[in-house]
Amino acid sequence: MPLRIDVTCAPALTVGEIMADVMNVGVNLEAFSQAINAIQALRSSVTRVFDSLKDGMKNKETLEGREKAFIAEFQDNLQSVNRDLTELERLSNLVGRPSESHPLHNSGLLSLDPVQDKTPLYSQLLQAYKWSNKLQYHAGLASSLLNQQSLKRSANQIGASAKRRPKVQPSTLVLPIQYVDDVISRIGRMFPDMSIELFRPNGTSAVLLVTLGKVLKAIVVMRSLFIDRTIVRGYHENVHSEDGKLDIWSKSNYQVFQKVTDHATTALLHYQLPQMPDVVVRSFMTWLRSYIKLFQTPCQRCGKFLQDGLPPTWRDFRTLEAFHDTCRQ
Amino acid sequence: MGVTCVCQVPVAEGKSVQQTVDQLHKKLEQLGAVKQGSFFVDCETYHATGNASGQPSKLLYVMHNSETPLSCMALFEGGPYLTADANFDVLMVKLKSHFQNAKGHKVESRGARYRYCDFLVKVGTVTMSSSARGISVEVEYCACVVPGDCWNLMKEFMQSFLGSNVPEIPSVFTSKPEGLFAPADCMDTMSQYLELFSKVRKQQVLPGSSVR
Amino acid sequence: MEAPPVTVMPVTGGTINMMEYLLQGSVLDQSLDSLLHRLRGLCDNMEPESFADHELVYLLKGQQGNPFILRARRSLAHPTAPWHLRYLGQPEVGDKSRHALVRNCVDVAASHSLPDFLNEMGFRMDHEFVAKGHIFRKGALKMVVSKLSRVLVPGNTDNTEPLSLSYLVELSVLAPAGQDTVSEDMRSFAEQLKPLVHLEKIDPKRLM
Repeated sequence: MPLRIDVTCAPALTVGEIMADVMNVGVNLEAFSQAINAIQALRSSVTRVFDSLKDGMKNKETLEGREKAFIAEFQDNLQSVNRDLTELERLSNLVGRPSESHPLHNSGLLSLDPVQDKTPLYSQLLQAYKWSNKLQYHAGLASSLLNQQSLKRSANQIGASAKRRPKVQPSTLVLPIQYVDDVISRIGRMFPDMSIELFRPNGTSAVLLVTLGKVLKAIVVMRSLFIDRTIVRGYHENVHSEDGKLDIWSKSNYQVFQKVTDHATTALLHYQLPQMPDVVVRSFMTWLRSYIKLFQTPCQRCGKFLQDGLPPTWRDFRTLEAFHDTCRQ
Repeated sequence: MGVTCVCQVPVAEGKSVQQTVDQLHKKLEQLGAVKQGSFFVDCETYHATGNASGQPSKLLYVMHNSETPLSCMALFEGGPYLTADANFDVLMVKLKSHFQNAKGHKVESRGARYRYCDFLVKVGTVTMSSSARGISVEVEYCACVVPGDCWNLMKEFMQSFLGSNVPEIPSVFTSKPEGLFAPADCMDTMSQYLELFSKVRKQQVLPGSSVR
Repeated sequence: MEAPPVTVMPVTGGTINMMEYLLQGSVLDQSLDSLLHRLRGLCDNMEPESFADHELVYLLKGQQGNPFILRARRSLAHPTAPWHLRYLGQPEVGDKSRHALVRNCVDVAASHSLPDFLNEMGFRMDHEFVAKGHIFRKGALKMVVSKLSRVLVPGNTDNTEPLSLSYLVELSVLAPAGQDTVSEDMRSFAEQLKPLVHLEKIDPKRLM
């Protein structure tokens, strides 16, 4: 007899509720097997009811006898159904509520699908669940690591970590112009051999023209206090285009300054600290200033001035030592 | 215009001027330098005629450089120097009653122009009255404008193809007091050529070194 | 040996034998505006350029003959611009039928070391003045209307005094020698400026 329960005969329990608890290994297993037996008993007693109804009245001498016997049997049968049902209800209370904390909730029931071999939904679901668990875990680790390193360039994504900071940082993208001017002029005063001119050719964004001794000129395009782009040219090269505006696009005619431009762009990405953009600008300028001896310093590794016709164009980010591009680690 | 050093390279022993020049070309090409056309520098000498005061008159030199083809440089030894456009030559013709062109004294250097990274190298044969008098080598480091900054770097580069013939820092740079800054015209280069040409003029004609 | 291959051409560059064709006149200060107005209408469609120049006239005296004159000009408005050195020859005696004064002219742009250099060459500064005015162009024709002022303290161009109560008006063309047709153009242009200003062929020798 297939395990099928007519809804009308087992109103208190759904298949799901019973089966769900199967998963709770060790919890009321005894009550479970008894409940299953009770269901079987209930089903067979229900079957008996319908069997007797289907068979109709048994052949007896008198019509009265027949009717009496049929009613008595029907009553017996119904009573046994009633008894079995009561028993099942009692047992079902013992089995208890299905656990709410099931990790897969109702989707765990998919494992009970009799046609599992054809549609491997459940195993796929478990895989997906494992993956999503792992993902969440790793994302958590990464987010805590990234918050320590603060690599984010734009402040509007700081989010939770910014809220936790006791001091409320102004969004570094909308710093007042006066503040930017102050920071730049302070940095300019720090280095006497470096002159910094500030222009605002388009709206509030500043463009700095840094003249380093008689060695080079660098154009630094800022977005608030963030450095967006930099280009380095020779001291005697044009920094203005023909219409008199600062030329922030065309590269230097000299290979050495093209190389320095590449390294300066690397430095922009290296010096990042979204909470303190002024420190970033200062670090970058300190680093840039080390080019004052671009043509005077031999490489710290090979000891020579030239390699492939170029002087040591690389400056270490921490020690500011000079290396050829190929001589650095 | 960067920092320029002009020097005279002696003719290798047992070789002709042309052979020595070829040897230099070969060394430069081995280094990776690329030939980019040719160059010339010339120098005319004028001396003042009507000298009322009786003092020995200074010589006036008028020079041209293929690097600045529309310009004309006029120099007195030790200064002052003047950069003018090519019409200055016409003016000197008008002035011929006061300044006479010493035609036999015209010196020039012609040769190939090489580029290596930010360096420009010009190897020229110095000729005077149609006879080859020597070899000039001009090295320019275009990226830098302060001779004192990049001199060691240039010296290292020159060593790579001149060997032991590397000159000392040109006196035009050492004599400048402030910052050793080379101005953006080619006067420093021209005065170095002038010095080299004066040396060549005084020196004996090399035996068997005629251009023809 | 006297035929060196490279020294055949003593002149390496430059435009040889340019001539200046010149007509001169003057207007009183009161009439300046009407002349400028007329010129604005006659000349090429452009805003008239104003200028303020300081001119130094140098002489080189030889043992005999006339001194050699060079005029060095610098712009007061554009101090970084090159100096302008000009040689003007003697006016051609030529035929009387020519409408304009014709003289040899060499224009040289030079670096700022020019005064020092001219001194070293033996030139001595003879006199200096400041010219302020306007330039108009019509094709190759050049109209210069300028006020001349004498420099009171040598070298100090801020301290000047006007030479007269009128403006100098010059109509000039630079052309290679022999192109006498330009003097026709100049005459017809000068006709159109009458009676505001009478431009004439003036021989500077007569004034000396």
